[in-house]
Amino acid sequence: MLQHVEALEILLQGLCGVHKEHLRVHELCLKSGPNLGHVVSEVRLLCDLEHPEPWTVKHVGGALRGSGAEQLSVMVRNMVESKASKNVLRLFNVLGYKLDHELLRVGSAFHFKRGARITVTVSSINKMLKLHAIDDTVPVTLGIQVVEVTAPATSENYSEVAAAMSSFCEYLAPLLHLSKPGVSTGVVPTAAAAAASLMSDGGGTTL
Amino acid sequence: MLDVWLKVLHWQPNAGTTVNTQILNEVSQCVESINGVKEGRWKATLTYYKPMLRDQSQATELPRDFLGISLPEQPNKHYFIIRGPRIVLEADSSFQTIMEKLQSYKSRVALYFEGFQYQLGDFQLRVGKVTPTHSDNLRGIIMEVEYLPLSSLEKSRQVMEEFVDIWQEAISKRSLPGHFMHIEPSFVEYGLSDHYSSQHTAVQYATVMAQLIATQSVQAARN
Repeated sequence: MLQHVEALEILLQGLCGVHKEHLRVHELCLKSGPNLGHVVSEVRLLCDLEHPEPWTVKHVGGALRGSGAEQLSVMVRNMVESKASKNVLRLFNVLGYKLDHELLRVGSAFHFKRGARITVTVSSINKMLKLHAIDDTVPVTLGIQVVEVTAPATSENYSEVAAAMSSFCEYLAPLLHLSKPGVSTGVVPTAAAAAASLMSDGGGTTL
Repeated sequence: MLDVWLKVLHWQPNAGTTVNTQILNEVSQCVESINGVKEGRWKATLTYYKPMLRDQSQATELPRDFLGISLPEQPNKHYFIIRGPRIVLEADSSFQTIMEKLQSYKSRVALYFEGFQYQLGDFQLRVGKVTPTHSDNLRGIIMEVEYLPLSSLEKSRQVMEEFVDIWQEAISKRSLPGHFMHIEPSFVEYGLSDHYSSQHTAVQYATVMAQLIATQSVQAARN
């Protein structure tokens, strides 16, 4: 599997024309306390350990529903992000938000423009053995890496952005198939051969 | 020691008097009389947030002094302050949208600080009224003194203090029913560094507002 990840990174580097960025993000998911708000609310705090300040605060809304959404090959959801100073965790604690879970995401990221501002991350998800112990983690699923492709869109252009993402994902097909979150595609039969070919080629091929 | 480049002062009316637009006009005239050159309008916004509780009767330790401030010099930023535990947070303006989406705190009162900006040598002065966003009721008068060291590299603290003394003398000659006051918050308690920033300014505004509210509560009790 590790060989597949290296091959994927070589492929992405060739496709995007950009070098990978190291990804090491401490992600904390907070939920509102029992008496706060009419329904439970959730907020995510992200600390990029390569650049510890500022932090990122993220609110992830529900997925777009309906027949139009089902026909899209990507999930569309409302997302609001803001940078914030590093005491944001303390602020939310005082506001009555409690830590629900935390994880450490380690891997690489590629940012590029290809019909949309696309970000691809290849990362392993790790859990902490003690509270906030970012140096003492174990993988949630041993040997499995999560590949995420995301792009920002507006309510006017999301179908074009979805099309740009789908067409980009087709280039990754020999190695992996991407699906909407929560739907597993399984291992691609051609992955081993494609990885071996990419590794021997050394990434010299530009698609 | 922290070099303060900006001071926020507020009008403290004499006991038994209230703030009015006549005082604001006199203050503006006073700035012009000491050769302040009017540069344009200025506006800051302050919002108080209140927790949305499922059960109102249940005792809660949630903060009731949580406020957000937007400053004209940082149009893409928003500052959040909780005075009790001394927290100041700098965030993007979009943080306000996140607060709306979370539906756990709602904005209770919003106030504008608005008026004119003046240039006076190395100083920039902002004089304005404090009003609720939905009415013209004057709640207070505010003044910002910012030192822009264009010609001098002297330590700002002393220069600022000298300037504020001159200003206090000029305004006292008008025999108005009150005076300008400056309360310097303990920036260290807020975890702020010695390098002056907009976070320091936001903390000053929060402190001034607490003082204005306290003064008005005392007056309301007297009346």
